[in-house]
Amino acid sequence: MVVGVACGSDLLIYKNNKPFYKFSVPSLPILALEQDAWQKLSEPDTDSSKIIENLKNTPFGLLSPRSQTLVNLPQEDIKEFIEKYSSIHLTKSSPITCMTSLKRNSEDPLAISCPVLATEQGQVYVLDPQSFTILHEAHISNAKATPSIIRASGILDIEFRIIVACREMFITLLRRGWLEGKIIIQTVLPIVDMILMPGDNFICAATTDKMLHCYTKRGNKLWSVKMNQPITCLCLIPLKHLSIALVAVGMQGGAIHLYHSRHSVDFITAPDTPSAIVFGQLGQEEHVMVIITTSGTMNFKILKRTADFNLNRDNSISPAAQSKPLPLPKRSKLFLEQSMRERQHAVDMHQSFQQDLVRLRLIAARTVVQVNSNQAAAGNEKEQLKLSAQVLGLGPMFTLILTLENMNSDKALIELSAVFHCKPSIYKLSSYISAIPLIPPGLAYKIETKVKECLNSENSTEEGAAISTTQIIRVFIVRLGQVQPVLAATINMPPTDPLAYTV
Amino acid sequence: MGLFQKLAFFLGIRRKEVNVLVIGLNNSGKSTIINHFKDEEEKVAEIVPTVGFNVEKFQNQNLSFTAFDMSGHGRYRDLWEHYYKDCHGIIFVIDSSDRLRLVVVKDELDLLLQHPDICNRKIPILFFGNKMDCKDALSSVKIAAGLGLDKIMDKPWHISASNALTGDGLQEGVEWLTQQIRETIVTRN
Ligand SMILES: Nc1nc2c(ncn2[C@@H]2O[C@H](COP(=O)(O)OP(=O)(O)OP(=O)(O)O)[C@@H](O)[C@H]2O)c(=O)[nH]1
Ligand SMILES: [Mg+2]
Repeated sequence: MVVGVACGSDLLIYKNNKPFYKFSVPSLPILALEQDAWQKLSEPDTDSSKIIENLKNTPFGLLSPRSQTLVNLPQEDIKEFIEKYSSIHLTKSSPITCMTSLKRNSEDPLAISCPVLATEQGQVYVLDPQSFTILHEAHISNAKATPSIIRASGILDIEFRIIVACREMFITLLRRGWLEGKIIIQTVLPIVDMILMPGDNFICAATTDKMLHCYTKRGNKLWSVKMNQPITCLCLIPLKHLSIALVAVGMQGGAIHLYHSRHSVDFITAPDTPSAIVFGQLGQEEHVMVIITTSGTMNFKILKRTADFNLNRDNSISPAAQSKPLPLPKRSKLFLEQSMRERQHAVDMHQSFQQDLVRLRLIAARTVVQVNSNQAAAGNEKEQLKLSAQVLGLGPMFTLILTLENMNSDKALIELSAVFHCKPSIYKLSSYISAIPLIPPGLAYKIETKVKECLNSENSTEEGAAISTTQIIRVFIVRLGQVQPVLAATINMPPTDPLAYTV
Repeated sequence: MGLFQKLAFFLGIRRKEVNVLVIGLNNSGKSTIINHFKDEEEKVAEIVPTVGFNVEKFQNQNLSFTAFDMSGHGRYRDLWEHYYKDCHGIIFVIDSSDRLRLVVVKDELDLLLQHPDICNRKIPILFFGNKMDCKDALSSVKIAAGLGLDKIMDKPWHISASNALTGDGLQEGVEWLTQQIRETIVTRN
């Protein structure tokens, strides 16, 4: 086993924990202007200030680190800096930002694999693990791209895929023989971590908005799930004995959730926020998870041999119907014609609908009024007073019984009196006004009034048509010192039976 | 020796075939321990990780043992439980230098003790804290505490530190087991 450590633009190789080899990323081309400037600076008695002024005018990003330092130096240090460095060969190298490994000619877990490096300039190098020469070199994208996470799958000599997530919020793909990568996924927010699923090469990426996204190998989004904490790292957990691969999602606060596809199947906790998670063999144990937290602790978790993550049960929970489309009927001819009509006569349809709506409201209001006026018993909401009337007798003598009910639960009704109003030519009453004594809460008071119909034969025949409007007695319940009646009601009197009268 | 015990001893001899199950995590030294008890001419020079299981026979104090040397690898541990029913004793081997996996040992032990073929039987269990020669080996007291052996009330158990390469501690442990198996046979008769 060999350990590689990327440091600046160098890859340091350790064999058996001893330094073994140092590989340096090739230097980038240097601007002719800059080369020229340093050439001049190395000559004795040149005016350095003018050359530096020249360098300052070139775009800062195109300069080598040495020139970048020079243009920012205070005046007094410049001379010493030039003396120290002008004789050394000028190089411009790009730091390694991420790396991974790629199997060379066999899928075997112990087979030789090649280091794959990506530099800040967006260059990817695949190295020979023995001679450390460059086997393949490519640029990750034609756009400006700064690699931040790199993952590889496949075999170098046969077919491979290198996936690079960039700080510019996209993911590019590189394949065997390609000299330039292709952007396959564009995200809205920066990518925190990314992994490649074995087998189908799905790409799982976490973004800064607590989301975990899964894409196909071509970059089509399959699903997204939202975590309740920001994601800090991801780790692939391949479980061969269960034929599944889980994704461990490390989150702020120390929770680590295990996802099988988009379903959370288990979770464990670390003492604080995990910054990196690795899963694999450690010593004799095959399934060990090592968690490194931001505060620097290292935690070891061993997977229980009997753990099966209840995967069978989970399958039954997730609705099967979700994956297939809803059984919607085909668009019929009728539907198409209707939608055509709707498009052509939109204004008319709207107006006639509004008309009908107004009409409906009118009918409703009328009905309410009618229902209210038909009530045999009248009431006054505010005073909690209810009045009901009863007419006894066949005529011409009637007895009118009014029942006043106090609906209050705690207040007695006082200072009320009842006033009767009728056409004196038709009815004569025993009393036209009667004072009502105090009605205690919840109780009722009855007023009995004798009514006599004044029948004269001419009237009854001549005014037959008017009978219906005049055979009424109005009752007002009034309060002392109050102009408005508390309650008013109309009592329809029954007609006197002419037979009874003649007898 | 009283008459009763003599009779029991007699019965014990008559029933001299006993089955023991040798279990424990992979690389703990099970095959090396069994190899130590075999006759000189049957001993193997090099021990390789067991695949599945091996059946080995050896003699101890007039008792002839049939040892089922199980593989301790994760993918073969499912096999263990199929031999629980027919065994008279269990030898549980622990690599006392593998501190990381003591939790795994505890897990496997708990599964064993809860198994229906084991939980209601008074079957003797011998623990070997093997590889005691290793620099960072845990003492048998620490292993017993770590595994919670004091909570096993209904079964006779014993732990001895051992070195399977030299044979230290092996004889003592197996003598205890032989004694226990004899006693169970006596009480059963
Ligand atoms: N130092 C030391 N090494 C031992 C001891 N016992 C066994 N070993 C070594 O441990 C390794 C594993 O021993 P095995 O007997 O194969 O272990 P096992 O339990 O049968 O393993 P599996 O068959 O895979 O379950 C071998 O290299 C042994 O030489 C011991 O007491 N001390
Ligand atoms: Mg073995």
